[in-house]
Amino acid sequence: MAKAKIKNNVPTKSRTKEDLAVVGKNWSRLDGADKVSGRSIFADDVRLPGMLFAKVVRSPYPHARIISIDTSEAEALPGVKAVITPEDAKDIWIGISQPLLPTENVTHVGHEVAAVAAMSEEIAAQAAALIKVEYERLPELLDVEKALKEDAPQLHEKAALNIGWQQEEEHGDPDAVFAECDVIREDTYITNPSHNCYAEYHVCVADFTKPGKLKMWTPTQTAHLFQQSLAAGFKLPASDVRLLTLNTGGGFTGRTSTRPHHFLAALLSRKAGKPVRLRAAGDEEFIMCRAGGKVIYKLRSGASKDGKLKVIEADLLFDTGAYIESQMIVTLLTSKYIHALYPIEASRYRGRLVHTNHLPYYFHHGGGIAQFQFALGQHVDALAREMGMDPVEFNLLNAVEEGHTTMEGAHYASCGLKECIEKTAAMAGWNDKYGKLPKFKGIGIGIGAMASGAKGLYKHDTSAAFVKVTEDGKASLFVGLPDMGQSSHTTMAIICAEVLGILPTDITVISGDTDTDPLDIGAFTQRGTFNTGNATKNAAIDARDQLAKTAANILEVDEAQLVFRDGKVYPEGQEDKAIAFAKVVYKTLHSREGRFVMGRGFYNSPLEKGTMAYSFGAQIAEVTVDPGTGVVTVDKMTASHDVGRAINPRVVEGQIDGQIFSGMSQVLYEETLMEDGQVMNPSRLDYKMPRAFEMPEVDHIIVESIDPNGPFGAKEVGEGPIVCTMQAIANAVTNAIGDQVTEMPLAPWRVIRAIKD
Amino acid sequence: MQLPQFEYIRPKSLAEGLAALAEHGDKIAIMSGGSDLLLNMKFRLEGPAYLLSLNGLSELQQLEKLDDGSLRVGAACTLTHLAEHTIIKECYPALRAAIFVVGSRHVRNMGTIGGNICLETRCWYTNQSKIWRDTREGCFKTDAEQCHVIKSAPKCHALNSTDSGPILMALDASVVLASHTGERIVPMREFYQNDGVEHTVLKPGEVLTAVVLPPAKGRSVFRKLSQREGLDFATGTFAAAVIGSNEQPESVSLVLGSVAPEPRVMPQAEKILLEGGLTDEAIDAAADVARRALLEVTNLFTPTFYKKRLIKVLVKDALLELRDQRVRG
Amino acid sequence: MAKQLIALTVNGDPYEVAVSPHQTLLEVMRDSLNLTGTKRGCTAGSCGVCTVNGEQGEVILSCLALAVEWDGRSVTTVEGVEEGNELHPIQKSFLEHGAVQCGFCTPGLIMSAKALLDVNTSPSETDINEAMAGVICRCTGHIKVKKAIKEAASVLREREVNHGES
Ligand SMILES: Cc1cc2nc3c(=O)[nH]c(=O)nc-3n(C[C@H](O)[C@H](O)[C@H](O)COP(=O)(O)OP(=O)(O)OC[C@H]3O[C@@H](n4cnc5c(N)ncnc54)[C@H](O)[C@@H]3O)c2cc1C
Ligand code: FES
Ligand code: FES
Repeated sequence: MAKAKIKNNVPTKSRTKEDLAVVGKNWSRLDGADKVSGRSIFADDVRLPGMLFAKVVRSPYPHARIISIDTSEAEALPGVKAVITPEDAKDIWIGISQPLLPTENVTHVGHEVAAVAAMSEEIAAQAAALIKVEYERLPELLDVEKALKEDAPQLHEKAALNIGWQQEEEHGDPDAVFAECDVIREDTYITNPSHNCYAEYHVCVADFTKPGKLKMWTPTQTAHLFQQSLAAGFKLPASDVRLLTLNTGGGFTGRTSTRPHHFLAALLSRKAGKPVRLRAAGDEEFIMCRAGGKVIYKLRSGASKDGKLKVIEADLLFDTGAYIESQMIVTLLTSKYIHALYPIEASRYRGRLVHTNHLPYYFHHGGGIAQFQFALGQHVDALAREMGMDPVEFNLLNAVEEGHTTMEGAHYASCGLKECIEKTAAMAGWNDKYGKLPKFKGIGIGIGAMASGAKGLYKHDTSAAFVKVTEDGKASLFVGLPDMGQSSHTTMAIICAEVLGILPTDITVISGDTDTDPLDIGAFTQRGTFNTGNATKNAAIDARDQLAKTAANILEVDEAQLVFRDGKVYPEGQEDKAIAFAKVVYKTLHSREGRFVMGRGFYNSPLEKGTMAYSFGAQIAEVTVDPGTGVVTVDKMTASHDVGRAINPRVVEGQIDGQIFSGMSQVLYEETLMEDGQVMNPSRLDYKMPRAFEMPEVDHIIVESIDPNGPFGAKEVGEGPIVCTMQAIANAVTNAIGDQVTEMPLAPWRVIRAIKD
Repeated sequence: MQLPQFEYIRPKSLAEGLAALAEHGDKIAIMSGGSDLLLNMKFRLEGPAYLLSLNGLSELQQLEKLDDGSLRVGAACTLTHLAEHTIIKECYPALRAAIFVVGSRHVRNMGTIGGNICLETRCWYTNQSKIWRDTREGCFKTDAEQCHVIKSAPKCHALNSTDSGPILMALDASVVLASHTGERIVPMREFYQNDGVEHTVLKPGEVLTAVVLPPAKGRSVFRKLSQREGLDFATGTFAAAVIGSNEQPESVSLVLGSVAPEPRVMPQAEKILLEGGLTDEAIDAAADVARRALLEVTNLFTPTFYKKRLIKVLVKDALLELRDQRVRG
Repeated sequence: MAKQLIALTVNGDPYEVAVSPHQTLLEVMRDSLNLTGTKRGCTAGSCGVCTVNGEQGEVILSCLALAVEWDGRSVTTVEGVEEGNELHPIQKSFLEHGAVQCGFCTPGLIMSAKALLDVNTSPSETDINEAMAGVICRCTGHIKVKKAIKEAASVLREREVNHGES
């Protein structure tokens, strides 16, 4: 089959913002009316005929050998339709090395041991309580540093010193550069375990009643990777697994891979011959899957006395929990971000994932990068202060610029970092405040970079899109990119509408069904706007080219002269000759020979590894610390972000706000308090996150460094902001109290401990 | 999380309710707003066979000014109703302040004053789901003779987090406890006990029907410390009431809340202020007493050093605020 | 335990439904009446996504309310906020000011905002915070939500004025 060649005939470079019809304007999300009126369906709202309800039996211990499992009483309970134990789950693997149900040892509190499906949630819970599991406790590893000790018990045969994965990287000659430095500084930081705490609890509905065909409704950031992993787990061809996404109640980097509950619901459904819903009940939400584990960051860097940062060394230790599924991503990512902001001469990185008897940890919002920046941003701030430099001045002196290529090969085709720093500092009134505030008031800056997409984490970084034009002059856009709230579907509609010269409200976005969606790796690594945006644009162009033929015939001009805009098609400069877009479509679809308009588009980074676009940002936090209680109040945030073209500025602002919230929440509040491997605060009440009262005023500055490779110049705003927030707030606290609080969250007692009195 | 099954009883009169209580002994639980009880039932901390709902009883929802000027507040008045009531706002602002910081508006619309006073004690180890609790041994509240909070303790150290309790004590309020055999009136200062399991003097078969607030006199203050404003139990509360001048107070009542199984009256600190007046030194000394009074609690996630400091700040700031309040005639 | 037939009015629609005493209002609305607009979150009173409005328009956590206690009473849910086929000004404002992202908390936010604005169309910042503190929103960080409520308040104020004049 010959590959269709996609012609990119929208000259983005030559068109100014004013020239765009719908891109760059504020649009309400297309599914918004449904969401505000209770019509949106989430997985927990799915009701299927005969649907059963599942309950999982979990290990109460961090580490134990399973001696026996007795399910007889549960099976005898009226209303119970299926019970599964490790026997039923043989040869089903999650990720690389985790058996779905453990045949020998449970390795963490909450580890799945058995599951039941019954006619009601109530019966299922009763039945689960009737399953008797006998355990023999084993020595426990609950501390990441202790797990590294020679005499610590080893959790997995292959992981000596419990190191499950180690990545080391060196660029340049760090030792030689350190030797040349005038100032060298070392710091250690800690981030504590956390939970993504999405509004929507973990849930899935599985229908595996047709042999060999699995249907699943579940919130996800990547239907495609879910499909792949379920297919691999059940040894099915991918096309026999159908993922239905509906709405996803938040992602925050936590819904990028399948978890045991997805497989268990499917297994139960297969065994019972009925659809099964499995939903986390209450505290289970915090016990079945969480975000990041504890991480220790040892940082060392050196600079010359004129303030040039020359070398950075980072040694990161991650509590990765009992198994590694895809957590290596975090070392792959953090190792890159050492180079992202400053054109240093050398670097050294070591990242180790260490096994403990905690559940397999993934990442919190910010993907490990924002948390790493909490450490790096504070460290660099401290280095600047040590040299007597103002942190803004230091960052401006050292920040990367357009055209820079990092030591590990990332090329910045566009870069507005310095502009962001300058604008944020000006708007926040940095010069009038830094060093001039009263005691216990502080101001701090955080800067960040973020890649749009991350080819290399997966083989490719593909997004595809189809555009079907309908005879009333509207269009259906098919994409495989989930919308977890970031408004990506509306963004895609805007891009599509711009190309076709119609309105975003004329576009129906069809997504959330792997049977119809084109391939898309999903909504993570901030690839949506850039990758799926490019795919959408290409698909729309393809569709438009097909229509252009008809229009050119009618108007008797060359196709290349046509302009598609405002629902009309006309030769450039001759709007009086315009014919309605709907008419062109009608004429095309109802021509004598019969034609069909279906645009196809696709995008994958042309690079071997990595992406073509990076976004940048700077945030300034202003805080007040209560010297009596240690409570930090964020008074104001000023955020400026280079997102490339802001396709929908309102959404860009919303993304910035949401990430400032999340960053603030993580840096000041969020921690899953652990004792004996158990979460002590598994509730929305005790796992603290700020609410309405705590939120500061936010000033936004959108910097648009139009990216040559982005759709209409767009890059990303998916995680760029959050990488700045935590460090900015932490630096402001340091500024307020005179000392760093090196452990996150900056809970009031940690702040008090740092205020030396 | 689902509720366990029970039989629901909705009496048409208080008498009918009291009869039901007498009949079912320890198999029956009293539900007012339910915002505490139902959650504890979902956690399987309680599994009553019968549930007596107070919600249909208008006799428990009245606010009544008594002849001697005191105010009788029906136990089933919601916290929102009270917080918005003019008499409470004008005459008992510190009580209003305490009520207004309970949970969220959502919780206050459902929660009642009676329920808030009787609120079960809470702790990190026990106010969890049954499945969660199964990950460790039981405690005084469940099926064992130990306290996870203070390992060596001979009794339960779950915290009493009622926000209204301390200020009601400071204001010298009383509660009316009714059973099918009659009524008794207990001063709030004698209502609580220092035991997380038996934290009130309520006897089986008794209902708290009303709170009686003596006529407003003097000045009072309530403060709550919590990490989050809105929807957060306190890390400490403090209520104080003073009659008389700053220099020569006639009476001083100080109560610390959310730090022990009962709201703590602080006689020693009261004495300091009574004798020394509300001077800087006396206030500082009183705050220090409060700080020292705090037990060395282990296993809590706010380290003791911090909590002690917090309590001192809390008490001091509140007393300074109280001192600055206009002295009422 | 025996089921009991209750008469429950939801959004003006009368329902008769058999409930067990231990069923919450949330469970009955979602599972017996198929009204899934009201979301199930923590089921423990702390997330607010299950918020509905009671007879006086006040916010109620349906996960902590017994359905039997609502016999003979009425509630309003997010499905009943629209005015005819038009979105209510609060809904419109949420939509237009980007106060909706994933939408899972939105029913709880809308009902909480409605309870506030039904009785107070000139809320202060503190009034808004106080009305909304019972509901989480992980996505928007409450920032655009507050803005949307302020804007909705001004629309509703205008409406009151116009209404007053006519
Ligand atoms: C998310 C959340 C946050 C909360 N935050 C706070 C907070 O910040 N501060 C705070 O103080 N509370 C808080 N609470 C607890 C509770 O909601 C309130 O204390 C509320 O006032 C309890 O009142 P209620 O009527 O709902 O009590 P119920 O749940 O009805 O009863 C509570 C207890 O008192 C008993 N009881 C109730 N009424 C009587 C009576 N008349 N006679 C005898 N016994 C009775 C019940 O049997 C039960 O044991 C919170 C609850 C939730 C769910
Ligand atoms: S579901 Fe009711 S408050 Fe969370
Ligand atoms: S919009 Fe997602 S939690 Fe509020």
